[in-house]
Amino acid sequence: MQVLTEKEESSASGLRAQRAVLWSAPVLALVLLVLFVAFPGFFPPMSPDMSAAEVGAFYRDNTPLIRFSMVGFNLFGILIVPFFVLIMTQMQRMRSESHIYAFSYLTAVVAGATLFALSNIFFAVAAFRPDRGDELIQVLNDLAWIIFIAPIGMLVAQFALLAMAVYADDHRAPVFPRWVGHYAVLTALAMAPSAGAAVFRDGPLAWDGLVSFWLRNGAFALFVVVMFFVLRTALARQAEQEGVTP
Amino acid sequence: MTDAGSALAEDRSEEPAEPERKGKREIWIFYWLFGVFYTALSVGVCLLGRATPPPRPDVTELQAVAWFDKHQMGIQVGFVFLLVIAGGAAISNGIIGYFMKRMSSGKMLAYAYIAAMGVGAIPGFQVLLVCWLTATFRPDRDPDVMYLLYDLGMLSYNGSLGCFTAAYIVVAIAILYDKNRIFPKWFAYVTIWQVVTEVLASQMWLHHSGAFAWNGMITLYIALVVFGLWIVCFLALFRKAAAAETARTPALYELEGTR
Repeated sequence: MQVLTEKEESSASGLRAQRAVLWSAPVLALVLLVLFVAFPGFFPPMSPDMSAAEVGAFYRDNTPLIRFSMVGFNLFGILIVPFFVLIMTQMQRMRSESHIYAFSYLTAVVAGATLFALSNIFFAVAAFRPDRGDELIQVLNDLAWIIFIAPIGMLVAQFALLAMAVYADDHRAPVFPRWVGHYAVLTALAMAPSAGAAVFRDGPLAWDGLVSFWLRNGAFALFVVVMFFVLRTALARQAEQEGVTP
Repeated sequence: MTDAGSALAEDRSEEPAEPERKGKREIWIFYWLFGVFYTALSVGVCLLGRATPPPRPDVTELQAVAWFDKHQMGIQVGFVFLLVIAGGAAISNGIIGYFMKRMSSGKMLAYAYIAAMGVGAIPGFQVLLVCWLTATFRPDRDPDVMYLLYDLGMLSYNGSLGCFTAAYIVVAIAILYDKNRIFPKWFAYVTIWQVVTEVLASQMWLHHSGAFAWNGMITLYIALVVFGLWIVCFLALFRKAAAAETARTPALYELEGTR
């Protein structure tokens, strides 16, 4: 039996935990994808121009699937947080004068995820008593969509902080390659315009529009996929540096 | 300073000597981001969104609808802009947390501050933006629903007291226990006044008009004066604390293998 020193042991189990979070991401992504497809109002996304009567009818006609999808998001959505905390953990390995990027990143992740959690509560409350009266169902639906799409600031900050941390990292032996910084900035820019979903009722910026729905959510999903591979490489290198066999 | 700190200081001294500069680049970046964020926040909240000073609590539903109608453009422009930059709160809290980590009172209080302010960002800010944008999104809603969104936005924004009370208490305790003199002790007492204003502001949940209403002399204007004083002192002390850091101040790294 191999005897590890205390330091080696903690580094080995720490890496094992990070790898567990990493490999839970594809499973979680699959679950979230199923929930996303199951929601009857995403393909195509519900129009903000629907009348109160149409919105009420939508919730009455599709109650079971709306409940399935939104209760599912409620249950599984926040499981994405450990994945972003894994990114934060790697940011803490980066060379920076202060570590302030990783420190602020956590607030941005937590606040952004809380907004998502609030949004599926509004969707699910609307489906809880769909015969409440169309006017009230419509305002719950508006709140759900606006909170889902428009409050983009915490995500923008999250990508900006990651980019700043990558740029400040040691250029000779970076934790993440430099292009991850550029890519994070690009993702922030792609997602930022969706704040307009709180104002526009048609066009690309409306919550069902090309920019606010497809570009925003597509950019976020793609970012998670890309970061999965980036993190996998970073963890392999960390294992190598710390002399831990995978 | 801990062993880790001195070990790192030695480690850094082996690096090629750079010209000593005042402060750290990252801290100055965050200093300016903090200033820009709070300025932008003031413009968005006060001039465009009209949330501070707030509209009256003692209105009827039709007056609330009329108020939204009058300020629709300002709310939409100002609050969408705030939705985009709202993440500046994460950065602003981060820099305060950073200085708290530098205090001898330890990083626990820094994390408590970050956590309390992280909670506050949602009910204390984002819920207001979302409620009022939802109101202006369909101005032809039932006036009762508009009235509800008016109150929900205002009370969430002005009436979220505990998150900030917790954050200010933690800052005050951290400064009082700190032996590194990152911030002077008197600033802890200024901070305690912030807690007092939050406690007094709890009365806005009970009063629709007068000095204790959400637009009242005591709950709002005295609180604004105290906050203004706090932020002016803070920015000055922040500048001083940032300048006191040299490139040789040890970074807050954790040693390899301890992560």
